[in-house]
Amino acid sequence: MIGGFAYRAAAAILILPAGGYLALFFGLPLLLAFLGGFGLFTRGAETGFTLEHYRVLFGTQAYRDGLWFSTYLAIVPTLVSLSLSLPLAVALARTHPGQKLFNMLYKVPLVVPGIVAAFIVMTMFDRGGLAARALAPIGIDLPKLVRDQWAVGVIIATAWKAVPFMTLIIGGSLGAINRDILAAARTLGAGPWATFVRIQVPLALPGITAAFLLTFIGGMGAYAVPNLLGPVYPLPLSVHMYVNAFERNNWGLVSAMGTVLSLISIMVLLAYYRATRSMRTAYGGEAR
Amino acid sequence: MSTLHIDGVAKSFGGTTALHEVSLHVGDGEFVTLLGPSGCGKTTLMRIIAGITQPDRGSIRIDDRAIHALPPERRNIGLVFQSYALFPHMTVAANVGFGLKMRGIPRAQVAARVAAALDLVDLGALADRHPRALSGGQQQRVALARAVVIEPDVLLFDEPLSNLDAKLRDQLRDDLKILQRRLGITAIYVTHDQAEAMALADRILVMKDGRIVEEGAPVALYRQPRTRFAAEFLGQTNVIPVHLEAGQPLMPWDMVGFARTGIADRHVSLRPEDIAMTPDAEGPGEVRGVIFLGASVECRVAIGGVELRVRQSGSGVAIPEIGAPVRLAARIEPHPLAEGVHSALSVGDA
Repeated sequence: MIGGFAYRAAAAILILPAGGYLALFFGLPLLLAFLGGFGLFTRGAETGFTLEHYRVLFGTQAYRDGLWFSTYLAIVPTLVSLSLSLPLAVALARTHPGQKLFNMLYKVPLVVPGIVAAFIVMTMFDRGGLAARALAPIGIDLPKLVRDQWAVGVIIATAWKAVPFMTLIIGGSLGAINRDILAAARTLGAGPWATFVRIQVPLALPGITAAFLLTFIGGMGAYAVPNLLGPVYPLPLSVHMYVNAFERNNWGLVSAMGTVLSLISIMVLLAYYRATRSMRTAYGGEAR
Repeated sequence: MSTLHIDGVAKSFGGTTALHEVSLHVGDGEFVTLLGPSGCGKTTLMRIIAGITQPDRGSIRIDDRAIHALPPERRNIGLVFQSYALFPHMTVAANVGFGLKMRGIPRAQVAARVAAALDLVDLGALADRHPRALSGGQQQRVALARAVVIEPDVLLFDEPLSNLDAKLRDQLRDDLKILQRRLGITAIYVTHDQAEAMALADRILVMKDGRIVEEGAPVALYRQPRTRFAAEFLGQTNVIPVHLEAGQPLMPWDMVGFARTGIADRHVSLRPEDIAMTPDAEGPGEVRGVIFLGASVECRVAIGGVELRVRQSGSGVAIPEIGAPVRLAARIEPHPLAEGVHSALSVGDA
């Protein structure tokens, strides 16, 4: 039997490479951002504990709206993408003619950078864009889709990028379901829709949740696409962070904003782990 | 009260023919077994009956109701899978109740019928467990309860016992037989295990390369197989070439083979347990190999240019030495095989 101290020391040394890496490159920057929000170790400013940055963040209308807008840009494009990728993943799971080609084509947006996607949307849907010019002769006048109040352009560009990504993850989850289970549901009297709702979705839920959260967190911090295609007001917090950092040199406020964005993401992540934990107990060995 | 009629059902996958026009009629309450090696098309036929696979042509009826064009959910056929195929996210009770729920049966009635079905398979106490908390045998009993609770017209079994260990398999096999008899459900059972087929079936259909090659009651099929394939697939047998001498069919060791059949037959089947072996310094046989199997002793004996398997059972059986000279005698009249024999089982040529 190894002594308690030696055992613990050995464990600590073994954990050090992975744990140390995480602490150094993940924990420390987060900690600095967190402290910076309270005026401690702030870049390019005298340090001293203060709540001023948070007072400004929550006390300024534009920032409050920005926070809501960032959350909106995380939730809405994610929901839109999910509503498209879930049926797409189910359709792709079935065998059909041209399967190989389609399986390749739908992934194309994955390799196109977000900024390029934004410019594609702009070329297509801006006033005087391709879509408007194509539809004008038949009397259809497109509403304002770029830099509009509801950020439709942002939603289109984000969904264009996110749909293949989510389809890939959800498709993997759906594909892992034993086909006998689906056949069993059908012979027991469930039609295709009931099988989808009662069997496929619950069993693919870990994948669906993962796809949802990854897209959600990406949307929280999105900068380029909302900056190009989003409305003039409100601006998402990410754009405010850029302005405050590089135009106003107010790193304390930037830290506070980053901390709030991270906190929202972390809260969503915790909710995710809670959800998957209860799913794990429900599915047991079958959980993926 | 349901009879199943399958007429001219055929299926190809790409260039491979899985089923050549198969026709099959199963009587009300009859237990039919499809027996064959893997790849013979038996599982494909089962999936076509259930509606999971679409046939290229042919028709399927339950009584007078044509079902081949219906989706699986409208056929009222129960299916028990080799993989159990339980819903992992549902409790045992929810699994069993699923089919009733899909049929829109009121909740209270569902609960009562689920409880009754679980009692039927002795799993009433496990209703609130999830499948993962159950053993393989228990899971398959849940699957069985789930399939019978919907009162299907036809109950299909796709190698349901193959994933279980031997002891459990025998027990569940007996339970299954009793249950099917009690419920009087028309059933088709797919297996590659000949012992399982004989123990369960009223009638066995032997399949090979997408065709039903022979059918019959277990006793008849085992004792009087018509084809060499059936004779060899059900249990073990010796396929022995016969030659004619002065119009008399003779076995390789010049024993009169059989009297009752036409001279067209050139091979007979003689089961290892139907051969008596006695030591005899004069021969004409010689023991080539001995395997002790506990309940029986199996010997390979070279005689008249062929090698035969001989099985003797009981604790009093002597274990012969290899090379010992022996005399063989058929305990019963060897059974003639009608067709499908292309190569004689002969070691004399080898």
